[in-house]
Amino acid sequence: MIEFTSWDIVRNLLLAARWTVLLSLAAFIGGGIVGLIVLFFRIAKNKWSRRIASGYIALFQGTPLLMQLFLMFFGLPMLGLRIEPWTAAALGLTFFASAYLAEIWRSGVAALPLGQWDAGASLGLHYLQELRLIILPQAFSITRAPTVGFLVQLIKSTALTSIIGFEELVRTSNAINNATFEPFKVYGLVALIFFIMCFPLTQYARRLEKQAAAR
Amino acid sequence: MAFAWLPGALGDIAHGAATTILLIAVTTLAGTLLSILGAAGRRNGPALLKRAIACYVEVMRNTPFLVQLFFIFFGLPSLGIRLDPILAAMLAMTLNMAAYTIEIVGAGLDAVPGGQTEAALALGLRPRQVFVKIVLPQALKIIYPALTSQVVIMMLESAVVSQIAVRELTYEADMLQARTFRSFETYFVVTLVYLALSMALRRLLVSGGRRALGAGVS
Amino acid sequence: MTIRKTFTSIAAVLMLGTAGFGLSIQAASADALADITKAGTINVGVFADFPPFSSASADMSLKGYDMDVAQYIADTLKVKLNPIAVTGQNRIPYLNDKRVDILMSVGYSKEREQVIDFAVAYAPYYIAVIGPAALAVKGKEDLADKSIAVNRGTLEDTSLTEAAPASADIKRFDNYNSVIQAFISGQTQLMVVGNDVGAQVLAKQDALKPEQKFQLLTSPSHIGLNKNEDGLKKAVNDAVAKMLADGKLDESSKAWLKTPLNPENLKD
Repeated sequence: MIEFTSWDIVRNLLLAARWTVLLSLAAFIGGGIVGLIVLFFRIAKNKWSRRIASGYIALFQGTPLLMQLFLMFFGLPMLGLRIEPWTAAALGLTFFASAYLAEIWRSGVAALPLGQWDAGASLGLHYLQELRLIILPQAFSITRAPTVGFLVQLIKSTALTSIIGFEELVRTSNAINNATFEPFKVYGLVALIFFIMCFPLTQYARRLEKQAAAR
Repeated sequence: MAFAWLPGALGDIAHGAATTILLIAVTTLAGTLLSILGAAGRRNGPALLKRAIACYVEVMRNTPFLVQLFFIFFGLPSLGIRLDPILAAMLAMTLNMAAYTIEIVGAGLDAVPGGQTEAALALGLRPRQVFVKIVLPQALKIIYPALTSQVVIMMLESAVVSQIAVRELTYEADMLQARTFRSFETYFVVTLVYLALSMALRRLLVSGGRRALGAGVS
Repeated sequence: MTIRKTFTSIAAVLMLGTAGFGLSIQAASADALADITKAGTINVGVFADFPPFSSASADMSLKGYDMDVAQYIADTLKVKLNPIAVTGQNRIPYLNDKRVDILMSVGYSKEREQVIDFAVAYAPYYIAVIGPAALAVKGKEDLADKSIAVNRGTLEDTSLTEAAPASADIKRFDNYNSVIQAFISGQTQLMVVGNDVGAQVLAKQDALKPEQKFQLLTSPSHIGLNKNEDGLKKAVNDAVAKMLADGKLDESSKAWLKTPLNPENLKD
């Protein structure tokens, strides 16, 4: 019979939490890069480019993340890639994050007075320079709170990758549970670890929000 | 891709979709009610209640829904609380959604000018009447769009409750793919069903909100 | 959401879908055995929550009867064993996509034979109905109106679905962990798992006093592999035959299943 001590449980959960952190970071960075591209399309002058981008965003915001992960997981072989939980999880969460981040940043762009664009144009800047130097820095700055808030969502969303077989915190807790039969303790610990990761970020987002409101 | 299995599966998909709709309908009603009570308690309740509500909000907002669901379904029985999968799902969804909507409702209550309460009190209305008849309808109107988004988000998150054997849409999809070995096609079709559901839900809420709360709701 | 958005997002889905379809390519069908020898590792799909066949130990490595057999096969082929945790839901796609070379603990079924091939049986497996002592269940008809936990898409699921009366409330979960947890926590009255899996659970639950009610089906576990891999199939069959002959399989049976191996129980 296989036995676990309490320390074994905690240690294995913490080791698994590394994957949760790594996946969150990968998806946040990847999602930021793809989200930026989507943002360019979303605020472009071309009508069709805007439509495609808003369709992309509506698609990811209108379907469950779990389904997106399943499609990614079972669709990988069709794209000639090996079926792999890590790839499916990282790609799935990246696309998911890109849609939400693009929409958050778009709201930042939309919040800027049109005069900002005019000012840029009057300085002789062309479109990309305007975006890079004037519009995007301001859009990012006013959407810092929702961006951090979304990072919290993303960290919590990594739990779903356990269902497609990625060995993160929740999946490890399931395996431990089956050897120890103490769901109350094991899931309680998992919740605590997530809380420790997310709570400081939530508080930080709140502070940013208050600062923004005060300005 | 092959879809020969689809005609025979439509009944199962429809049945799953109906359960998903039932889940979100119950959650919306219970969650909104709970968040109104929670938001009111957080503003005017005794200090201990305020702290308890704040703790509840933080715990729910900073832990994954899946873990909350497992905790309620697999963990609570060791305290003697045993719920049917569908009840456990409804409870988990309601508790999760309320943690977000308490803050939304609270913001709405804050946005109603204080002068209105004073005026209504001066007219001789009791505080409870003022809250229910004057402040709350205006607050709901202000926060209605945010509330709508939260309901749609919760509907999409409900896919997870398939993990505790609730026979909703994702559960039916899992069953189908186990039978047909057509994983990608099955989830592809079901994803489209979810997309249609979330669009329909949004439209329904917007038009329903317009009727109930008057013009100006978007 | 506007109608326009509706259309564009539907268009986007269809585009993604057809892109996937257009790009779907047939993986080059090389000889799996040659690939394994060349790579120096064999990827074996095992359950991570399936005691006593394979489950996590305190350092999170998998241990059990299936792991012993997988290790023996790897040793016979003179390659490294790389166990890969799978679920009932994803293991057939894993195999078909060559993410794993072989699967442990696959019961024979006609549906499965459409998509995979079966090597020799290597473990006895009885599918049993397990319930608390206080609940009277003697045969299939007693399953009426009972709630029963089972792992979705497994042989347990198929045989239970076939045997149970319509009024039985079958609750299907995603993995063995959830099945066992649902039963132990009292969320379901009964569960249907392999009797050896059940035995592990029974030993730890004093309060519930679970016992085996009756056997639903005897179906030895096979090693699953992709179709048209005759070289690999022969190598696996030979390794298992050798393990049986030199008594190593019997040792594993005594260690994990707590009973000597009876070769009669390896017949379908």
